[in-house]
Amino acid sequence: MNRKLSFLISIIFIAVFALSACSTAAPTEAPVVATDAPAAATEAPAEPVVITWWHISTKDPALSSWQKMADDYMAAHPNVKIEITVLENEAFKTKLTTVMQSGEVPDIFQSWGQGGMIEQVNAGLLQDITDELDANNGEWRNSLGALDAFAVNGRNYGVPWDMGAVTFWYNKDLFAQAGIEKTPETWSEFLEDCEKLKAAGITPIAVGEGDKWPGMHIWAYLVSRIGGAEAFAAAADMSDARTGSFEDPAFIQAGYELKKLVDGGYFQEGFLGATHDDMQAAFGNGKAAMILGGQWSPSVQAANSADLQGVKNLGMFNFPAVEGGAGLVTDIVGGGNGFAIGKDAEPEAIDFVKYLTSLENQIIIAQDNTGIPVAKGAEVGLTDPNMVMVSQAVANSTYYQLYFDQVLPSAMGGIINDAVQKIFAGTATPEEVCAEIEAGFLAQ
Amino acid sequence: MKYSRFSTNLKRVIIPRFFQYLVLTIAVILIFVPIVILLFGSVKTTGQMYSHPYSIPNPPNWSNIFNILTTPYFWTLMKNSLIVLVGTTSATVIICALVSFVLARLPFRGKGFVFNLFTVGLMFPINVAILPVYFVLRQMEQFGVNVIDSLWGVILVQVAFQLSGNIMILRGFFTAVPVELQDAAYIDGCTNFGFFWRVLLPLVKPSLAAVSALVMIASWNDLLVPLVVLNDNKLWTLPLGTMQFQGQYGQDLALISAFVALSSIPTIIFYFFAERQIVSGLTAGSVKG
Amino acid sequence: MSLFSTANHSGIPSGSKNSMRRITNSLGIFLFLLPGLVIFLIFVIYPIFRSIYFSTFDWNGLGPAVDNVGIQNYKDILTDKVFLKSIINVLIIIVLSLGIQLPLALLLATLVGRDLPGRAVYRTIFFLPYVLSEVNAAIMWMLLFNADPERGLLNGILVALNLQPVGWLSDMKVVLFSVFIALTWKYFGFHMLLYLTGLQNIPTEIEEAACIDGANSFQSFFHITLPLLSSTIKTSVYMSVLGSIQQFILVWIMTKGGPVNASETMATYMYRFGFVRFDLGYGSAVAIIMFIFCVVFSLIYQQLTREPDYLTGL
Repeated sequence: MNRKLSFLISIIFIAVFALSACSTAAPTEAPVVATDAPAAATEAPAEPVVITWWHISTKDPALSSWQKMADDYMAAHPNVKIEITVLENEAFKTKLTTVMQSGEVPDIFQSWGQGGMIEQVNAGLLQDITDELDANNGEWRNSLGALDAFAVNGRNYGVPWDMGAVTFWYNKDLFAQAGIEKTPETWSEFLEDCEKLKAAGITPIAVGEGDKWPGMHIWAYLVSRIGGAEAFAAAADMSDARTGSFEDPAFIQAGYELKKLVDGGYFQEGFLGATHDDMQAAFGNGKAAMILGGQWSPSVQAANSADLQGVKNLGMFNFPAVEGGAGLVTDIVGGGNGFAIGKDAEPEAIDFVKYLTSLENQIIIAQDNTGIPVAKGAEVGLTDPNMVMVSQAVANSTYYQLYFDQVLPSAMGGIINDAVQKIFAGTATPEEVCAEIEAGFLAQ
Repeated sequence: MKYSRFSTNLKRVIIPRFFQYLVLTIAVILIFVPIVILLFGSVKTTGQMYSHPYSIPNPPNWSNIFNILTTPYFWTLMKNSLIVLVGTTSATVIICALVSFVLARLPFRGKGFVFNLFTVGLMFPINVAILPVYFVLRQMEQFGVNVIDSLWGVILVQVAFQLSGNIMILRGFFTAVPVELQDAAYIDGCTNFGFFWRVLLPLVKPSLAAVSALVMIASWNDLLVPLVVLNDNKLWTLPLGTMQFQGQYGQDLALISAFVALSSIPTIIFYFFAERQIVSGLTAGSVKG
Repeated sequence: MSLFSTANHSGIPSGSKNSMRRITNSLGIFLFLLPGLVIFLIFVIYPIFRSIYFSTFDWNGLGPAVDNVGIQNYKDILTDKVFLKSIINVLIIIVLSLGIQLPLALLLATLVGRDLPGRAVYRTIFFLPYVLSEVNAAIMWMLLFNADPERGLLNGILVALNLQPVGWLSDMKVVLFSVFIALTWKYFGFHMLLYLTGLQNIPTEIEEAACIDGANSFQSFFHITLPLLSSTIKTSVYMSVLGSIQQFILVWIMTKGGPVNASETMATYMYRFGFVRFDLGYGSAVAIIMFIFCVVFSLIYQQLTREPDYLTGL
């Protein structure tokens, strides 16, 4: 081998050793050793326990908040070691699928409840924690809201840690520029406003249909506005007593209403290939007047905008009511994040989750302003006015419709996303799209 | 006389050269455009990245790069990536050399079968195989072999999926070494191993370097295997590191750019050093007797 | 099954058999093969059989697979219009690669040639995209392809030239070509390197002789260079086709196979069912079908090109 190459290889080896040396010297968070035990006081030294926890809060402040809570818990319980794996959402799903098919499951992991959770429960991968929730006269249960999303047949296999809602966010300046004085409350007003914006040379709505789910929310909201709570519940019923279908009029009409937006040319140029980040950037840079987005939108549109400030005059309104529809303007579509408990989790893991969802820690989560806390009384932590708006929309909601893909079996999320995209692309009629969704549902 | 020589030169050398350089330069520009955007991005804010990704960063925002380089975690990732790189590359090259030697130079029954078996690997890439591969790792773990959440597991799987292609390449090189050398070595009393070690390997060193470089690139950029095998983020490799900039609802494109630009530097350095080796190495293989 | 006949490749001519007999010992051969075979059988061959097994189940990956559906998954896949679309897309990518990407690589390789001053620099630069990861490449190209002229360079240029912007990733008629552009950017350097090394082996005397005989450079290219490069080209075509069939990460990140399956490849289809819809039995069946395609292609290609020297001919 020539000199240069062997030189390079020796450099690599030296670098490896040097780096290994410094990283061992660096203050890594070594497992708290049992000798520190006296901190826990009275109890006899307990068996060492390792808890594995996978979450998807890759960014600060949540990332550090979780880490600190884990550190604090470990300090108070020297026998417990919490191994955290932080994964990006897509990577998390890939890894969880791979691991679960081999029969393994982390002790605590990110979950969105319902559909996906039901399958995991049926496969015996999760642990029933209902008794812990009900212990001490239901002390833990009563401290939390939104527990139903993580219950299967009345038994809980996880708990939520935040919740949120999808609403319209709009740029007040652009609305004023187009001569729109008040936010639309009905669908026809909404369409008129879109027309006004378009006439004023402003892109009415940005959507990241390349990622599929942002546009799916528009359709889901239309379904909920037209058919009310009933239509979806009837169609999504997994039992033999199912009365509805995804081909019911509400679903088809929702497709046609959505088509009006597409045909009207109300979305930004290239929306079919745009990502969710693109959509937030377009909105944040004032290139579109509205987005339909979750509680995360205010912070993401700001982060993705050129000046990092985002829309100067940001407003929010509920998805308008569709005339003649069964749903109310105050019905909310939303969902949240939670922890599922793996089948092999030790009692300490459940105790740790209890600690994570305690009021004091929930206030910390609220202060991050990325979601609405679920512990009762933790809303006081919300400081961002935008988050307060979302929180109020949820508090005042007449019905809280969980995201469709969270209610349905996990495969359905992908099926609905793929099908609804065809309305955006104009490659299928709403009837065909609904038939495809129904066929997908029946195959589950 | 002189003039006419110049004019032949002009016709035969200078004009073609001009077009050669022109076309090549255009190609170089096209190659560089995306890379330059990445480099610009690494000194922008995420907002600028989403709003004006191809404008010149003014003023450049060096803090992305500075922050990454001063984070100890970046160096932990770098260290792990290097360990995996060294492990995968050396193991792959050694194993491939052994197998290719036998396939290229020694007669034995079932040789065709063994060779065909290895080619099958080209048709079942890791993207497709990841689920059953993880299952195998988990079974090994249950037998007490620590491969999950261990860099060894990453190395093992990477090596397994690098074998097919590189065995085929190396076998070609080994076949090309003139048989007279082998005969001479045996007459001098060399054993198979002696011939392999003392005669063959030194001859094909450039080819080994070429194969090493290809393995290094694949190992360094591998995302899927480390993602699935490693849980402890202190063991993660560089490609997994970009996850820290990808939130559930949005990603820091500028930081991602800075991170991937910085983490690409080592491969570019390897390649820069090994480039000559790759070319001469790949060439050596085709010099047939 | 004989994908690659090795009969002619023992490397040992019959004349040296006497000297061989002395030292050939099967234990040695066995030991040489052992580490490779063990790792390969465990991590590659066994998983193939496991995938075949799971491809006969309706299985969501949670808990043991119990619902054996025989070949139903295969029937469903082969009658699914989307899968057929993905095959067509892969075929288009293959045709474009063979028709544009490889000739381009060959053209540039010839231009760099073996005596151009500064050729090492060009060689290094053209190989650079291959060195960068696919994730990188996808991110960069998504930026370039952005539909908004202020954000996407390509549309920015079009608008500056007073042309209509193109929906690179959003127009269903265009998206596959956009993906192909990114693929070409990423992989042509690899093929170019193959050709360069192939060119390096052609003795200059042959071309010079042709030149003296009055052949112009085109004639000498088509009649002399190209035939002498044939084994390199065979290798390059083979790898390009297998790569196209298996192409995944770049497409998935850029388009997720969309909009509406417009850029679906077999591998994105597999991922969609395996990891997005959690139908792991179905996904395994897609993987096996892809595997079969590759094997069938290899066998046919083997027949067509006769000489079994895809990589030996580098």
